[in-house]
Amino acid sequence: MIEKDIQVINQLGLHARASAKLVQLVSGYRSEVMMAAKGRDINAKSIMGVLMLAAGVGTVVRVRVDGPDEVACMNAIEDLFNRYFDEGS
Amino acid sequence: MRRAIQGIPAARGVALGRARVRMPLMLEVERETIQPDEVEAEVERVHDAIEFVRAEMHELRQRLHGALAHEIGEFLDLHALMLDDPELLQGLDTLIRTKGYTADYALRKQRDRVAHVFLSMDDPYLRSRIDDIDQVIGRLHAALHRRDADLQGVAGDILVTDAVAPAEIAQLQAQGVLAVVTTTGSLLSHTAILARSLHLPLIVGATQALTKINDGDVLIVDALEGLVICEPDQTDLTAHRKRVDAFKRERKQLNRLRREPTRTRDGVDIKLWANAESREDIAEAHGLGAAGVGLYRTEFLFLGTHEIPDEEKQFNAYRDAVLGMTGRTVTIRTLDLGADKSDDTGLALRDEPNPALGLRGIRLSMSREKLFEIQLRAIARASAYGPVRVLLPMITSREEVLYAARLFDRVRKSLAEEGVAVAEHIPLGAMIEIPAAAIALPTFVSKIDFLSVGTNDLVQYLLAADRNNEALGDLYTPLHPAFIRMLSDIVRTARKAGKPVAICGEIAADEAFTPLLLGLGIEELSMHPGSFLQIRKAVREIDHAQLVQSSRALARAKDRASIMRWLESRTA
Repeated sequence: MIEKDIQVINQLGLHARASAKLVQLVSGYRSEVMMAAKGRDINAKSIMGVLMLAAGVGTVVRVRVDGPDEVACMNAIEDLFNRYFDEGS
Repeated sequence: MRRAIQGIPAARGVALGRARVRMPLMLEVERETIQPDEVEAEVERVHDAIEFVRAEMHELRQRLHGALAHEIGEFLDLHALMLDDPELLQGLDTLIRTKGYTADYALRKQRDRVAHVFLSMDDPYLRSRIDDIDQVIGRLHAALHRRDADLQGVAGDILVTDAVAPAEIAQLQAQGVLAVVTTTGSLLSHTAILARSLHLPLIVGATQALTKINDGDVLIVDALEGLVICEPDQTDLTAHRKRVDAFKRERKQLNRLRREPTRTRDGVDIKLWANAESREDIAEAHGLGAAGVGLYRTEFLFLGTHEIPDEEKQFNAYRDAVLGMTGRTVTIRTLDLGADKSDDTGLALRDEPNPALGLRGIRLSMSREKLFEIQLRAIARASAYGPVRVLLPMITSREEVLYAARLFDRVRKSLAEEGVAVAEHIPLGAMIEIPAAAIALPTFVSKIDFLSVGTNDLVQYLLAADRNNEALGDLYTPLHPAFIRMLSDIVRTARKAGKPVAICGEIAADEAFTPLLLGLGIEELSMHPGSFLQIRKAVREIDHAQLVQSSRALARAKDRASIMRWLESRTA
């Protein structure tokens, strides 16, 4: 199990489009992915869960990945956040 | 115990029956549990429904192309992810397995659990995502019942709910619902207009209906006075029978006007056109002596289907309408999708930030020229079977009129080259339903052959008041001096140019407004044939010369109160 704090840096935060991208990404991995922010703990493979995080720009999200491909998965997640979810900024 | 609930009568009629209560934003479900040996079958039902919806969405995704694919695609992706959501799916399984819930009830439980979280969020964007979830859940619920689709037990009942969509009203009537009572809504909503034309008694704004009425209660709906009586006593039942008789007598008296002309007391003939979209409407319009069809809506060809109708399908529908009117003119309005009329073909953008100000009517047609061309071809071909006119919705400017006229010319030429018979002259008209069109009318009135004023939208846009927003209540009204002045200007411009102008919209079919419209110089009204006799009766009671005389003050009225006073003095 690996755990990391990642900050939301894209302007719009985890709104519908970014959330959809995140869920699509982590669903491709076998590991279990949990995310926590603002006192809420959610399954990152659930779109409703990710939306419920309501994580705007600047929010720090605690990401927990547990499973056979956890390292690759965590890297991919970090990469997506740092690429501003491909939204430019 | 007897309870009386007051609302606003939106479609006349009376009914007696049992209440069928549909709670808002929740699924209508039986609160039954199932036997242990039925659990696996119920779980399977859920999974079948999910598969069905998934295929349905996939199919919709496949049909999208261009900019639409991008815009709508994003929402479809979001919805598809919701369908795959492990929280939602496993949650359902668990609820059915551990609690013995039915699939429907489990679905509702899940929806409510999620809704609770979303609706408590401060961020309005996230709060509104509940709409996406509701859409997905709604689709799932429909899929669960795709075999027994006709809402069990609604026939012979009175639906009590928060709101009813326009598309649903027709379905409810077809299913045999006796009357509808809603807690929200306004007199001038599309739903109300539709209910009136379908003769389905409707009471809106009965705010206490959901708290005071229980499923199965006996109700008397008096949609003449706007009164709902729950668990009526003997006195109520006697009064109800009297009202039913009075209503029948009223109908009978009207029926005597079937063969009479629509003529004022002093001999001015008023043209009554029919708004129509079905064979039944056409037949009814024909039988009631309509001047022709003033507004043939074509949206129905695009609604309730997943396919954009091809030229042949459109041609057949238009030709049948033309043949059905046996030589009387049929005015075919080109596609007017958008706002509260979203389709299933993915053509209209459901998720526009402001659909009423969005890509609808002629704008949608212009953005999809091929589609527009196909529709114009189908209309031109139908013109070989009888007189046809083309009406363009949502016009804002001369450019749009010229664009449509050019395209229509091109279409007719190419049909002629193909050797297809087309009428020599097909009049082109503009719908005036946006203030810009009314103001710019002098710039393009010479380019069109006739005008049709869509008052519902014109009032809405002129006053910046959504007619479906009950919070605005009184703000949406055709009795605003600005509207009366605009209408009077339209009539004057049209008359100067020698172009006929018809009024289509709610007020054309409402006898309370007949003196107002005739007073302003309108001589053509277009409405659902269901309102013909009522309007004919109103017209026949009018002294036209005197009305026109006294209406000069009307166009100069300073406030709504004086317009109302004038109108009341005419109808009294």
